[in-house]
Amino acid sequence: MDILYLLIPLSVALVLLILLGLWWAVHGGQFENVEQEGERILRDG
Amino acid sequence: MSKKSVAAPDRATDGLQPVTPPEAVDETLLDDPQEWPSFGRACAPADGGGAPAGAWESHVVIQGMHCAACALTVEEALRSVPGVQSAEVSAASQRARVVWQPGQTLPSHWMAALRRAGYRALPALDAHARGARQREHRQALWRWLVAGFCMMQVMMYAWPAYVADPGDLSLEMERLLRWASWVISLPVVFFACGPFFSNALRDIRQRRISMDLPVALGMAITFAVSTAGTFEPEGVFGREVYFDSLTMFVFFLLTGRWLELRLRDRTAGALEAVLNRLPDSVLRRQADGAFERVAVRRLQPGDVVRVLPGEAFAADGQVLEGHTLADEALLTGESTPVRRGPGTRVVAGSYNLQAPVLVQVQGVGNDTRFAQIVALMESAATQKPRLAQLADRIARPFLVLVLLAALLAAAWWWPTDPAHALMVAVAVLVVTCPCALSLATPVAMLSAAGALARSGVLVRNLQALESLSQVDTVVFDKTGTLTRDGMAVQALQPAAEGQERQVLGMAAALAQHSLHPASRAILRLAQEQGVQGEWVAQDVQEEPGLGLRAQVRQADGAGTAWTLRLGSARHAGLDAGAAPADGPQVFLAATDAQGAARELARFALAEDVRAQTPQAVAALLGAGLDVHLLSGDRSAAVQRLAGQAGIAHWQGDCSPDDKLRALRALQAQGRRVAMVGDGLNDGPVLAAAHASFAFGRSVPLAQARADFVVPGEDLGQVVRAIALARQALKVVRQNLWWAAAYNAASVPLAIAGYMPAWLAGLGMALSSLLVILNAARLSVTPQGAAALLPASVRILHSPAISA
Repeated sequence: MDILYLLIPLSVALVLLILLGLWWAVHGGQFENVEQEGERILRDG
Repeated sequence: MSKKSVAAPDRATDGLQPVTPPEAVDETLLDDPQEWPSFGRACAPADGGGAPAGAWESHVVIQGMHCAACALTVEEALRSVPGVQSAEVSAASQRARVVWQPGQTLPSHWMAALRRAGYRALPALDAHARGARQREHRQALWRWLVAGFCMMQVMMYAWPAYVADPGDLSLEMERLLRWASWVISLPVVFFACGPFFSNALRDIRQRRISMDLPVALGMAITFAVSTAGTFEPEGVFGREVYFDSLTMFVFFLLTGRWLELRLRDRTAGALEAVLNRLPDSVLRRQADGAFERVAVRRLQPGDVVRVLPGEAFAADGQVLEGHTLADEALLTGESTPVRRGPGTRVVAGSYNLQAPVLVQVQGVGNDTRFAQIVALMESAATQKPRLAQLADRIARPFLVLVLLAALLAAAWWWPTDPAHALMVAVAVLVVTCPCALSLATPVAMLSAAGALARSGVLVRNLQALESLSQVDTVVFDKTGTLTRDGMAVQALQPAAEGQERQVLGMAAALAQHSLHPASRAILRLAQEQGVQGEWVAQDVQEEPGLGLRAQVRQADGAGTAWTLRLGSARHAGLDAGAAPADGPQVFLAATDAQGAARELARFALAEDVRAQTPQAVAALLGAGLDVHLLSGDRSAAVQRLAGQAGIAHWQGDCSPDDKLRALRALQAQGRRVAMVGDGLNDGPVLAAAHASFAFGRSVPLAQARADFVVPGEDLGQVVRAIALARQALKVVRQNLWWAAAYNAASVPLAIAGYMPAWLAGLGMALSSLLVILNAARLSVTPQGAAALLPASVRILHSPAISA
């Protein structure tokens, strides 16, 4: 069970990391225009 | 540039010229630093992605974009201009954000670069409002996500403590879990709860008590108790931590607020959807016949614009080319789309539904009826109805009571267990929901006003919805309400037998040069009988209020010219005594070279009863309302009309004072009276009634002194408005009862300690959501108004237009 002493702090770090990802998604406007990310692949150059 | 050749065929097909010659004046105007704030802002040194001081951020609408790939081309074109630091283009909204350095470039420079790439840029004047709304939405969503995600994680750490038997969990492990929960709760408390704290602080500084205060207090107490438990497990509060409760009720509260924001945007926002109908830009025809995109504010009367299907007409005007259907529900109350062809008028704010048309602009900006409607609705939307004021007055003492109750509960439980005592106080603070109370009335009335606006009834006064719901008597004024504004030809008597068609054709040739109601009536009859255009008039002279005179000859040039007069007996040169009739008459007379007049025909006119009048009256009677008719006309005419419409109580020969007296007599009997008039001549009567409607297409909206303005022709709107007002008041009562019952039930439970903090948060969020959802029903299915404009509602919500 000692591994928990590592895993729990790790999970805390992971949560903060995921939040960072969510921040990027929200403020990149991904929830405002759902098609936009799919269309990006069609742009060349 | 390769993109240009790809995109060009697209543009050719819809009539947009690829590269329009620049309107040099317009763009260089934008180089004036005074114009910059209208479509952008100066970048602060701190933001804008490291933009150096002095840079400007401008927002423009890009025209000519057809696909997502165009966005990249536009960005490249903009970035290639020296001095442009960054450019971001959104393909969905067709808007670009450009950051540029004033010392190195000017708006006209990068706009020219765009034009070379095949696009046009227009300053986005509403950029501030839109940007602010977007930031607000993003921030709210982000706070909600943080609270939700952290809540899930905190629940994971709390789970072992829930299920473990005493002694199962080692002391170190329990501490570690508390520590982890504490760390994860930090973003929730210091970020997601931010608005609650900042609002509460602001209100304390201004010495007010607001609804956020108890909630913020609850959050602070819970966090303080739990933090003490984390760092001092042996202390007074060390027995348990409440991070799970804290994050959960924060999450529920934020969920409630988020949904509230969305729902209010949709219900009360129905008004906004109506107000924001005008497009940003239009296709204007230039001198060489090509079309260019210009901002709506640059339109001038006389301009010719092309309006594509799905677009709103940006200005009042006349159709030059093309046939289409227009949705004018907002402006005239006409629920079915109306046909518009060459020569007919279209109004700003109505939608072109079918085919592209060319329109010559006649009125722009504040001259349009649309602008008047917007001004009227904006003033109504900011009013506070009586019931809402009452609720607001109750809310403050209620909040004080809540704080006292929390204090008492904490004091009561303190001796048994201080930590439990504080959590009980928190539950009391969180569970009470004065927001449900204060939202109950305005939300319902605004969504009722929104639903009415979409069906063509404009609410000038929100308070009047309450009065209208109690109305038991409807009094009609005759002219312009039960009857049309105009008249109709009741009988045509030619001087010689068998000449009906000839005299009607002659009269129509004269009448089409006048806007007088009698002329319009004659013209309408001529159109119905198909004789219009058989004769043409020259040298038409009109003596206002009397009649017309002109030379009239046959359209094919055959025969001789007649000198004709159309108008009153005196105008026509006939013996005034020759008018023994019970209605207004119009005479057609021929004048010979010596000036002697010979009567050709006389037209007996009568008021034109609206087709829906009998049904509307029957519907009102069916709804249990009394219907009365007061008119200044002769009693015989009023009696005839009352008979046609099915109205039992009528009174003719009324002066305005008589009408007022009759109205007061009805009110003295204890009746609640709604008055329906034309909004101009019967101002005092309308003002004296409990609720009033101004009716008719000709009402100048700014002058109409009624509570409700119906710009259309449909009398059924009165029935629908009354049904909707009753429904709205029912919803208000339900909401108030629900809010009162919820608070009355939940506070004692919380004080008694039966309400954990998370359940309190859930309860509060649900109670205000319920209030809003209940009000949202009004904008969906107004009772008794099944025919409430499915077309216009569909159009308002269609993605093509809202995008």
